[in-house]
Amino acid sequence: MSRSAFKSGRTGRGAAFASDHSGSCHAHTMRLTAYALLPLGVLSIWFIVGAVGKSFDGVRADIGRPLPATVLIAFISVAVYHMRIGVESIIDDYVHDEGLKAISLAVNKWLSLAIGAVWALSLIIVAASR
Amino acid sequence: MAEADPCHDSLAAKRPLSPHVSVYKPMLTMMMSFAHRITGAGLYLGVIMFALFFAGLALGPDAFALVAWITNSLIGRVIVFLLSWALLHHLLGGVRHALWDRGLYMDPEGRELAARATLGGGLALTLLLWIGSTLAG
Ligand code: HEM
Repeated sequence: MSRSAFKSGRTGRGAAFASDHSGSCHAHTMRLTAYALLPLGVLSIWFIVGAVGKSFDGVRADIGRPLPATVLIAFISVAVYHMRIGVESIIDDYVHDEGLKAISLAVNKWLSLAIGAVWALSLIIVAASR
Repeated sequence: MAEADPCHDSLAAKRPLSPHVSVYKPMLTMMMSFAHRITGAGLYLGVIMFALFFAGLALGPDAFALVAWITNSLIGRVIVFLLSWALLHHLLGGVRHALWDRGLYMDPEGRELAARATLGGGLALTLLLWIGSTLAG
């Protein structure tokens, strides 16, 4: 078939050529999360690179301070949403098999949430037990 | 009115396809577009790695021993270095998008300049970060 097999979320006649009208909201959310990630990203990568070469006690003492722990938790809270919808558009672009697409989207959804939960909970434990 | 229906197969098959990326001459702005997506996907993997690192840190010395290679081995340091570059490059790509959203740097010279600034700025900031971090101890 010479035409793309792309299908939108709609069904019925003309569905394959219709937009699902979610693009503007996606772009807007990407922008808003990016604004928050800009300062949080700069600070977070500073704290992360600061852990290089340090011992268990050294990293715990550094990362567990109130500012690094809070910044890193704020960063992942926003990043989880940003990366989830970012990867959703990558899946939309490259995965065309309906079944595989549904699985990819579900894995992305739960994996990004799990990453955020593990990251935030771990830092809370480190900060609290310091 | 099968003929006037824009979705009818006989008409749809005659329409040209939009040119795919592979027909364009490679150029810097296009490479920067790819780089934004690739660094975004790379950051996803990096964030998984550091979620595990922090989990090790939270669980205690035995668990930390399993993830300590991330910050203490040579290969780990190389990965963290690449990750920091990916973040700063992607971040500057985000700044470029914010400028474009305001109609700035969209003309041919402007977007070429913005592409160079993203590439050079990302590398420069990464070096600064590591030099600063080494000095700070
Ligand atoms: C640090 C600050 C960050 C800024 C300023 C930023 C900015 C942006 C912007 C503006 C976009 C939309 C690009 C477009 O519309 O084409 C985007 C896309 C994306 N970002 Fe980020 N981002 C940041 C951090 C992150 C992080 C930490 C991750 C992953 C863990 C990430 C993953 C992604 C992904 C997967 C996309 C989608 C790429 C695509 O569709 O081609 N970003 N980012």
